[in-house]
Amino acid sequence: MINVKEQQDLLLDISRELKKKMIIYAVGGTAMMFHGLKDATKDIDLVFISEEERREFKRAAMELGYNLFSSISVYGTKPNQPIMLARGKEREERFDLFVKEVIHFIFSEEMIKRANATYEFDVNLTVKIANPHDLILMKCATDRIKDKEDVIDIINKTKIDWEIIINEALNQIKLGKERAVFYLGTFIDDLVKLKVNIPVEVQKKIWHLLEKQIKEKNKKGKHFK
Amino acid sequence: MDVIKIVEKLEGIYNIKSVMSILKIQKSTAIKVISILRKNGYVKTKQTNKKNRVYYISKFNKIGGKSYYDIINKHSPIKLSESEVYKIYGREPSLEETLIYAIKTKSVRVILAALSLFKYINNWTLLYNLAKKNQAERKIGALYDLSRKFMRTRRMNKRFIQNSLPKKEDGYIFIIDSLQSKDFKEIEKLWKVYLPFNSSDLEDYKLK
Repeated sequence: MINVKEQQDLLLDISRELKKKMIIYAVGGTAMMFHGLKDATKDIDLVFISEEERREFKRAAMELGYNLFSSISVYGTKPNQPIMLARGKEREERFDLFVKEVIHFIFSEEMIKRANATYEFDVNLTVKIANPHDLILMKCATDRIKDKEDVIDIINKTKIDWEIIINEALNQIKLGKERAVFYLGTFIDDLVKLKVNIPVEVQKKIWHLLEKQIKEKNKKGKHFK
Repeated sequence: MDVIKIVEKLEGIYNIKSVMSILKIQKSTAIKVISILRKNGYVKTKQTNKKNRVYYISKFNKIGGKSYYDIINKHSPIKLSESEVYKIYGREPSLEETLIYAIKTKSVRVILAALSLFKYINNWTLLYNLAKKNQAERKIGALYDLSRKFMRTRRMNKRFIQNSLPKKEDGYIFIIDSLQSKDFKEIEKLWKVYLPFNSSDLEDYKLK
């Protein structure tokens, strides 16, 4: 586990190793720490806009003693897996580095606009923090209990506007992620079973949107990919 | 004691009495609570003129770093509360950089508070380079002339002025969209920049 202070020191060290300026986006537990919703995280999840920037970040991290390891042990056969770097005997400090896509979701232009909390580390590294609404959506498609606990924390500690999440799920469909509303719906079902207070209208709306999406697909003689 | 829950309940600015009343506890317990929160990095303490302690409690204090708002608040009689999170680690942001940030926010109050920075800015070359990069040379020039009406500032170097004054073909620009001044027309005309302030907006500076 890495705490807030260790995470800051690490990002500062990386910034000083970088040879060019870059803006990257924190998601997952890292973003939750920056939002003050969590004290420690297992991995530092970052999204890059270009492969070139990820390559440079990877080089800087490797200068600091990080080594590559296979993402299959953590992400199985899921798509859009990150490059994973770890340090320490038991890989206790870990980076998950994504480019534009985080497993089942695209880090969209709208998500970029919503990521308005900014942290500059020395000169070269600027980290923008994904909005809590987008963190909820991105955690929808994982099967880990830890992610559900994180989402419950976000819902309990921040003011959630479900419209933002639903609209982003629809946006993801436009961007080619057809299952976005489906993942959101099933995830919310799971949360309701865990007695999380999610407005009934929100649940109804999501399932209505999913039915509509299926009908439209059927009309065109297509089905979900 | 669930520290995070207490921080969420107390998020804001307090003195010891307000902590006592919100948590419905005695003074000695309130002092202990503040001490625990401080140890966890959630409390910034300031002393008022009357030497009373004021506690700024926020979950973001733990994250540390320096913000442009901290720098403006340090130098300005107009104090700002942070309306957005922008923290810097590992270096001290310069006053010149802070002034450019203030202009980029397009917020009346942030720009107004940042006028104070002209009292202390002396690296005009850095300011010019940053202004050029952000296409704000004329805005800086106009705000500088405005600030000179209400406070003593360091003298801007001639090169900055020569390089920044508008050309004949340049049109007027806004610092904040659709806001212009009734009282500072001559500065607006010189720099071809609409200023977002009237004389009455600068009362806080006049009192100093």
